Amino acid sequence: MTVTIDKPAEVRAAIPLLAAHDLRVVFDSARGPVHAVRGVDLDLAAGEMLGIVGESGSGKSTTALALARMLPPAGRITGGSVLLDGDTDLVAASEAALTGVRGRRIGMVFQDPMTSLNPLLTVRRQLDEALRAHGFGDRGARRARSIELLELVGIPGARLRGYPHQFSGGMRQRVMIALALANRPDVLIADEPTTALDPTVQAQILELLDTLRRELGTAVLLITHNMGVVAERCDRVAVMYGGRVVEQGPVAEVLSAPRHPYTAGLLRAVPRLDTPAGTRLAGIPGTPPDLALPVLGCAFANRCTAAVDRCRTEQPDLAPVTDTARTACWVPSTEASAHPLEPIVRRAPDPTSPVLEVSGVSKTFRSRGRPAVSALTDVDLVLYPGETLGVVGESGSGKSTLARAIVGIHKPDRGVIRVAGKGRLAREVQMVFQDPYASLNPRMTVGDIVADPLHAQHIGTPLERRARVLELLERVGLDPAVASRFPRDFSGGQRQRIGIARALAPAPSVLICDEAVSALDVSVQAQVVNLLAELQADLGLALLFIAHDLAVVRSISHRIVVLREGRVVETGPADDLVAHPQDPYTKALLAAVPSPVPAAMRAAEAA
Amino acid sequence: MTAAVVTKAPVVAAPAKRARNPYVQGLLTPRGITGLIVVGLVVLLGLAAPLLTSYAPTFQTSNALLQPSGEHPLGTDEIGRDLWSRVLFGIRTDLIVVVSAVPLGALAGCLLALVSVASRWADVLVQRLFDVVLAFPGLILGLTVTAVLGAGTSTVIVVIAVVEAPAFGRMLRGAILSHREREYALAARVGGAGPARLLVRHILPNAADPLVVQIAVSLSIAVIVEGAMSFIGIGVRPPEPSLGSIVSGSVMHLQDHPIYAIGPLVAISAFVLGLNLLAEALNKGVRR
Ligand SMILES: Nc1ncnc2c1ncn2[C@@H]1O[C@H](COP(=O)(O)OP(=O)(O)O)[C@@H](O)[C@H]1O
Ligand code: SF4
Ligand SMILES: [Mg+2]
Repeated sequence: MTVTIDKPAEVRAAIPLLAAHDLRVVFDSARGPVHAVRGVDLDLAAGEMLGIVGESGSGKSTTALALARMLPPAGRITGGSVLLDGDTDLVAASEAALTGVRGRRIGMVFQDPMTSLNPLLTVRRQLDEALRAHGFGDRGARRARSIELLELVGIPGARLRGYPHQFSGGMRQRVMIALALANRPDVLIADEPTTALDPTVQAQILELLDTLRRELGTAVLLITHNMGVVAERCDRVAVMYGGRVVEQGPVAEVLSAPRHPYTAGLLRAVPRLDTPAGTRLAGIPGTPPDLALPVLGCAFANRCTAAVDRCRTEQPDLAPVTDTARTACWVPSTEASAHPLEPIVRRAPDPTSPVLEVSGVSKTFRSRGRPAVSALTDVDLVLYPGETLGVVGESGSGKSTLARAIVGIHKPDRGVIRVAGKGRLAREVQMVFQDPYASLNPRMTVGDIVADPLHAQHIGTPLERRARVLELLERVGLDPAVASRFPRDFSGGQRQRIGIARALAPAPSVLICDEAVSALDVSVQAQVVNLLAELQADLGLALLFIAHDLAVVRSISHRIVVLREGRVVETGPADDLVAHPQDPYTKALLAAVPSPVPAAMRAAEAA
Repeated sequence: MTAAVVTKAPVVAAPAKRARNPYVQGLLTPRGITGLIVVGLVVLLGLAAPLLTSYAPTFQTSNALLQPSGEHPLGTDEIGRDLWSRVLFGIRTDLIVVVSAVPLGALAGCLLALVSVASRWADVLVQRLFDVVLAFPGLILGLTVTAVLGAGTSTVIVVIAVVEAPAFGRMLRGAILSHREREYALAARVGGAGPARLLVRHILPNAADPLVVQIAVSLSIAVIVEGAMSFIGIGVRPPEPSLGSIVSGSVMHLQDHPIYAIGPLVAISAFVLGLNLLAEALNKGVRR
C-alpha cells in the first residue's frame, strides 16, 4: 500500500482551498517588534492533511492564527496574502466577512481544550451557540445536529448536558473538535491537538481527524512537534524554522530523504524504538534565532554544519528540489543523509546491593467531596548503583507520586522506602522536575539556586559552595559566568540544565528525573538526555528516569518498569521489554508510539 | 571525551535591556504614570501645607463663610477659618491616618496569615476571625470600636487597621498555599530546606507580590473610611481638620456656600482615583 497516491487531495488539487503567500506577522513586545512569521508559503487542498512541524517558537501557532486572522491584539499581519478558494483574500477581508469564514469555512482546535471551552456552559449550550451564530435551523434542528456532532466524534449524545470539567482530557478535545466541526467547515486547523494527551488517547484523536478527512473531505492543517504523528497521519509536511517554511513536500519524501539540514537534524533527534537500545540521540547544538533581532541570511546558519559563506548573507527561498518537494537551502543535500548510530556511553550497573529499595508502597489520596484515589498500590522496585531504571505509564498512573514518595514529599500509607547510605535523605536522593519554568525560583540567581541544597543542608563553607556551583554549571554544559543571572534569561533546555546542577549539588547517589525532558523540543530533549547519560556514566549515579514517552525512556534505561493505575504491570531489561512485551498494557503503549519512519518506507524496507 | 563537547549548551542569549522589576514595569504605563502624578500631587499638597498658606487651619478670622478671594482661595467656613488651609492640613491628617493604619492592618493580617499556614487549628480560628470582621459593615465596626476606645484619630487608625487586616491575611494565606505546591518550592524541600527556610527564602519573596497591589487598594479604602467616620462625627476630633470632617461641616451650607464642600471632595476623589490607578497599574505589572 502506498500512502499518497489514492488520496482525494491529488485529484482536486488544481486550486488550493487555502493558500498563504509570503505571510508575515509581527508582534509588539517590550523588546520591540518580534518578527514571528517572516514570509510563509503554504497551501492546503481539499481533503488533505498537511502537517506543520518545527521547534517551539518557530512560528507554527502564529501562522495558524494568522490564517484565520485570529491573532492576539499584540500581533498583526504585515504582509502577504491568504487566499480562500483561490479568490477571497482573508488578509484584506473585512471583519464582517471574516465572521462568516471562521467556524463556517475554517474551524480551529487548540492544544488545551479547557481554555477554549466555557467552563460555565453545558456542552449543549456551546454547540447550540456555535450553530446559532451561523443561523443553523431552529432549536430542534440544532439539538439534533448537536447530538449528531457528538456522536461523530465518538461521545454518546446523552452527554450533551455535561459541563466541560466532567469530561476527561481526551473527551474535551473531542468536544472541541465537535465544536469546530459544527458548521461543516472545509478546513480544520488543529494546533497541537494531542500534545497534552496520553499516547493511546492521542492515537484515538488522530484516528478521528483522519476519519473526518476521509468521510467529510475536510482539509486538516495539523500542527505538531511529533514527527511520528506526521509520518503516520499526514499527506504532506511543512517544516518551519525561525518564522519560515524551510522544507515542504510529501511526507514519505521529506521524512525519508530530508534535503534541508534542519529537517535532517530534527529527524536524528527523535528517539526511536527501531534503533538498538542505548543509541545516542543526536541533538541540534545551538538555539533558534531571536526573532526580535534582524535575521541576516539563513536563520539556521549558526547551527548548520553544512553552512557556506553565502548562507550568512543571503536568505534562501523555497525552491523545488524534486517534482513535489521544495526546500529553502543554498546547498540542499541530494541523498538521504544516513547517519551513523552512536552508542550512548553507559556503564554496567553494579548489582551487588541496591541504593534504593521500594517495597510494598501504597498511597491513597483522600480529599473532601471526591472519591479517594489509589495513586500507588503495592509498588516494589529496586535500583542499583550506576543503573538507570526507566518508569513509564500514562498520566495518572502514579509516576509522580512514586517519585515524590521517594524524596519524602508524600508519606506512603504502607510500605517501606529504603535508601542506602547514612546521611539525610536529601543528601542521597535528589530530583529534577518536569516544568523548566516553574521549577526554578524566579527571585533567586542561578548561583543561589544551584547552591540552595548546600545552604539548606549546611554543606561546605561559603567559598567551597561557590567553587562547587561553578564546577557544577560547567559540568552541565553552562558557562559558569551565568551564576549571577536570573532564570528568566534562559531557555527551557538551559533551565533544565540548571535544575540538574542543583540536583547534583549535594552529590547524591540517586537522581530522580520526573518527566525532566518531556517539556522540551526533541532537539533539546536529545541534548539533555545525553547529558544525563554522561553524568550517570561519569558519576556512577543511580538514575530513576520517569517519562511517558517509551522511546525516550528506552534510549537511556537499563531496565524499564511499566506502571498502570498505580501498579507495576511489567518490569524487565529495556530491550527485552520493548522487543517482547508480556503485558497487554505494555503492548498497547508500544503500539501507540508513532514511528517517524513513514509507513510507505517501512513497507519498502520490509520488501 | 567528545561527548561532553557535543552536549555543551550554547552561551545564553544576552539579557534584555528593559527594566525587569514588575512593579516598575506596571508603573511605567500611561495608567501608572497618571496615578503617580495624581497621588504625588495630593501628597505634595499635604506635605507642603505650611508653605502654601499663611493661615493656621484652626485660626478663626472674623469673617465667616466668605466667598473665594485672593486672600482665601477657597473662602472661609462657618466660624471664619481659611478653607484652603483646612483642606491642605486635612490632607495632612488623612495622610498620617492612612499611612499608619494601612501598614498596621497589613502587618496584622500577614502575621495572622503566617500563623494560619503553620497549623490547621490556627487556620480554622483565623479564618473565622476574618469572617467575623468582614461580616460587620464598616461603620458599625467603627461605632463599636469608638464605643470602646472613644472618638479620635487613634480610633480611626485602629478601625481602618481592623477593617483592612482580613484582606491582607486572606491574600497572603492564599498565595503561600499556592506557592507551596509549585515545583520550585518542592525542589527546595527535596534540597533539604526546612519549613522556615522554605517560607522565608523561597515562598515569601514570590507570594508577596499581590500585597503591594493590595496596599494601594487599601490606602484608597482607608481614605474613604476616614471620611465616613469623620463625617458622622466619630473620627478625627474638631477643631483638627480632616477631609471627612470638613465635608461634614459643609453639609449645612451646601445651598448657600457650595465651594465649602468642593475643596475636600476634590481632594478625596483625586486621592482615591489616583490610588486606584496605581493599584491597577501595579496589578498589571505583577500579573504579566
Ligand atoms: N503574544 C505574543 N507577543 C509577543 N511575541 C509572541 C506572542 N506570541 C508568540 N510570540 C513570538 O512569536 C514567535 C513564534 O511563536 P509561535 O507562533 O508560538 O511558535 P510555535 O507555535 O512554533 O511554538 C516566538 O518568537 C514567540 O515568542
Ligand atoms: S542555507 Fe546554508 S545555513 Fe541554511 S540550512 Fe542550507 S546550508 Fe545550512
Ligand atoms: Mg505552538
